[in-house]
Amino acid sequence: MKYGTTFSFCWSGGSKLLLYHYSHVEVKFIKCFFKMSSFSRSAQQWATFARSWFLIDARMQPPGKIASMCSVRLQGKHKPIYHPLSDIGDHVVVMNTRHIAFSGNKWEQKVYSSHTGYPGSFKQLTAAQMHKKDPTAIIKLAVYGMLPKNLTRRTMMQRLHLFPDDVLPEDILKNLTEELPQPREIPRKLSEYTQEERNAFPMLWTPNVSGSPGSASIRHNPLTKAPLSE
Amino acid sequence: MTARGTPSRFLQSVLHNGVGRYVCQLKRISLIFSKKGQGSLGVRDFIEEGVVDFAKNNSGTVVYISPQSCRIPKIVAEYLNGNVKEETVTNKTSQEIAELITKLSNQSGLDIIRIRKPFHTDSPSIQGQWHPFTNRPLSIDPVGPQAK
Repeated sequence: MKYGTTFSFCWSGGSKLLLYHYSHVEVKFIKCFFKMSSFSRSAQQWATFARSWFLIDARMQPPGKIASMCSVRLQGKHKPIYHPLSDIGDHVVVMNTRHIAFSGNKWEQKVYSSHTGYPGSFKQLTAAQMHKKDPTAIIKLAVYGMLPKNLTRRTMMQRLHLFPDDVLPEDILKNLTEELPQPREIPRKLSEYTQEERNAFPMLWTPNVSGSPGSASIRHNPLTKAPLSE
Repeated sequence: MTARGTPSRFLQSVLHNGVGRYVCQLKRISLIFSKKGQGSLGVRDFIEEGVVDFAKNNSGTVVYISPQSCRIPKIVAEYLNGNVKEETVTNKTSQEIAELITKLSNQSGLDIIRIRKPFHTDSPSIQGQWHPFTNRPLSIDPVGPQAK
């Protein structure tokens, strides 16, 4: 079925829906009140090979981990019906690419090089410069490098949708079926801890105000400066 | 010719023949021969010896013997699904004709063309074929940044 054609599907509500994208079709399949096993052959084929839309929030995430999650789903490797020749990958939407977080000193040390082929056109950009120029480029290049190096790669890249902030166009919002969990657990800032948690944090020793450690008779909680009771 | 140029079909049985009762798919077999030509010698020998036994063993098949003045003797087999198969049996021995007739009675009437796959099943999936929401809970709420 071509991308732009309509596909009308009557379900138990009695209303006819004109569906342009497969993800609507798959959701309506599940919401039907008859069993999946009673589907006709063509309906079962549609259900099995439907293309889903996934959402990933890249805020405070390492771009490499985001890119590997994207590449798995763009190739279709998360499906048991995977085959490299059958075009079975899903769409992936990544939002907040502007707020990705490299570990270590990669913002200054990681270098993206390019050469157009003409003499004198060798450019090297640090990750920070690249990110400033185009906030989606880092994830795009990472995913491109993780996909298989064949002609299907360009088609898979067309199914990757990157957005620097969490403003998504309406037609993409309508297609999303699942938000994937973030690969990295975001550590909390000190200001995000409650006072009770700060007090309850175990202290091995308190650094002494006068100099040598442990020489003070009263031990203080360094965060709250309140004396610790034994 | 190529496989694409010639007709082909999928493996099938005629109405699940054999699952319950087996019905012989050969409806009618006609032996057309001449009484005097030397090409029909084998047919005449077969009619003398083997045709009565064949007819007794295959009670569901009607056997017609029609002597005509014809140059080439033929065996015409008609099947329950309507297919008609003609075989010329000039200068064949009685033994060969007997083998040919048993082969025709063992066939179903389906076309002898390329079979696309050597297997077929009516129930391709026992536990249910996979679909994207097999092991994935469906979210009724809308997915996206506005939902947060």
